[in-house]
Amino acid sequence: MNGDIPSNGPANGSAPNGNGHTLAVHVRGVTKTFGKGEAAVQALKGVDFDVRQGELLMIVGPSGCGKTTLLSVIAGTLEFENGEIDVFGSSLHSLKPREVTAFRKRTVGFIFQQFNLIPTLSLVENVSVPLLINGVKRREAEERSAAMLERLGLKGREHKLPTEFSGGQQQRVAIARALVHEPRMVICDEPTSALDKDTGQQIMEQLRDIARHPERCVIVVTHDNRVFKYADRMTEMEDGRVQRVHDVAARGDRRFDTSFGVTSDG
Amino acid sequence: MFRLALKMLLGDRAKYAMLVGGLGFATLLMMQQSAVFVGLMSWTTSHLRNIRAPIWVGDTKVEQANEVKAMRDTEVNRVRSVAGVEWAVPLFFTILQSRLTDGNFKPVMVVGLDTTTLIGRPALMLKGRLADVRLPNAVIIDDLAVQRLSIGRKKPLDVGDQFEINDKEARIVGICKAERHFFGYPYIFTTFDQARLFSPKSRKMLSLVLASPKPGLSAAKVAEAIHQETGLAAYDENRFGWATIWWYVRNTGIPVSFGTTILLGFIVGIVICGQTFYLFVVDNLRHLGALKAMGAGNLTIAAMLLVQAFTVGCIGFGFGAGLTAAFGFAVLDKGMPPFLLPWQLPVFTFVVVMLICMFAALLGILRIWKVEPAIVFRG
Repeated sequence: MNGDIPSNGPANGSAPNGNGHTLAVHVRGVTKTFGKGEAAVQALKGVDFDVRQGELLMIVGPSGCGKTTLLSVIAGTLEFENGEIDVFGSSLHSLKPREVTAFRKRTVGFIFQQFNLIPTLSLVENVSVPLLINGVKRREAEERSAAMLERLGLKGREHKLPTEFSGGQQQRVAIARALVHEPRMVICDEPTSALDKDTGQQIMEQLRDIARHPERCVIVVTHDNRVFKYADRMTEMEDGRVQRVHDVAARGDRRFDTSFGVTSDG
Repeated sequence: MFRLALKMLLGDRAKYAMLVGGLGFATLLMMQQSAVFVGLMSWTTSHLRNIRAPIWVGDTKVEQANEVKAMRDTEVNRVRSVAGVEWAVPLFFTILQSRLTDGNFKPVMVVGLDTTTLIGRPALMLKGRLADVRLPNAVIIDDLAVQRLSIGRKKPLDVGDQFEINDKEARIVGICKAERHFFGYPYIFTTFDQARLFSPKSRKMLSLVLASPKPGLSAAKVAEAIHQETGLAAYDENRFGWATIWWYVRNTGIPVSFGTTILLGFIVGIVICGQTFYLFVVDNLRHLGALKAMGAGNLTIAAMLLVQAFTVGCIGFGFGAGLTAAFGFAVLDKGMPPFLLPWQLPVFTFVVVMLICMFAALLGILRIWKVEPAIVFRG
């Protein structure tokens, strides 16, 4: 079921797996069902997979296969019924709701398909949000946010509103927001689907650079086969289960074959 | 986070304007109508401020200050005989018709004061001498009488002019300032004896007895003693005022009429504020969901919504209170409609507006409380 990667023991945040890789995320037997009775739909049917530190992992698969649900439970934004999820040493299955919230605040950076920037806040204020949630004072938060925007090529535009910018630029702001509090795991939901090809490539290059940090991982859910080449590994899902894991980096084949049924219709 | 919450609110100008406008309008309706109601109720007790006395004694069945049930003249001495009474004087009060120069008639309230002491006299004389009221046919009229009874004359009534009360000559010896009365009739002050001459004859000609407690005694206790010993209705000034107000509240449709408008203001506030604020939350659900995903707890987001609601509440209240004050200043000089804004009214209205806002915020909080942060991943 895990394709190229054998199953590993629980991650403790720094423990190497059997192949010498240090695991960031360790998922075993996770199930999630929406609805009850006859209307119940089992979105995850015992998912097993791992994410290594310092890698960009893509989760791909056809619509309705459970990609976004899996992303949601890993990020701690959705409860799951059975199984274990360990993220950098935090066992999500044993945390109380308040602890899960604290886990998200501290550990996770989010990049959304529709950017989810607050239109009435300036760029620097939008980027400051995770810092403010973490209790950083406004002045310091805005200084750090401005620095992050500068790193992403948005210097001098800190006080403009998001609506004044193109989709690519807004996604760069979203990346700045996802990284400003230095999370160890960055979660990206269809980060390029609202962007044109060139902009999408630029965004993916930035995400790949982000993933190069040795104590970080980036998980991307995508339909966009134009960006598969940026993955270190790809987890292919189908019908609520992980079907295969492709080690793209190990094969050195960045022109990834998309024949496993991934569609581009969202 | 609160600063960001306010920027989110102020940035949505349409909803912000709707919230402030709705709350301002609700405040205006509630506070202005309450002020007019309080003003109207204060008019019902203007006798107490125009004819000042610590204790008011009337017929057993008298329930309020504007009610006259004539008594025998001997009741004055009965009141005087009660221990604790410093003094007691008769008061005659009636409504008569005065004839204008153009032939029309206007009702006036004739107040007959004790001839010797003139207790119950007007508080502020604008023209003339108070003592001259003891002269034959002499009257002191208030400023409203000048305005009302001068119709058809080349110049307004003044000291020295004459007019007719109940077909009898009345000569003006003074003009005084008096608070306007609920009935809307002018005050005509004269002596007890002269007032009885103006009035048609009847067997009983004593309207009220004004009294005062001896030094060191409370008016309320002496009034109670008068009631116990004479069987007459006796009130201290404060109790008589409230008895009068409650009589009007119980026996007229005024509170229902004003209460309906005030209730409408409350409902308008609830509907506009509740609906707009809820829409604001729904419109921002994805953003608020994103905040939850990023680690903002439900309590943090609830506090943000409360700050937003409190802010629009304060601004909307200020807007409405400003409009109410402007209305008050505009009508106070004209004296119509009655307008009285004691400090309790703005405080009460502010509390009600805050309750409206907290209710609106609660609707939003309930909505966002149930939202799973995973909503941000759905298309």
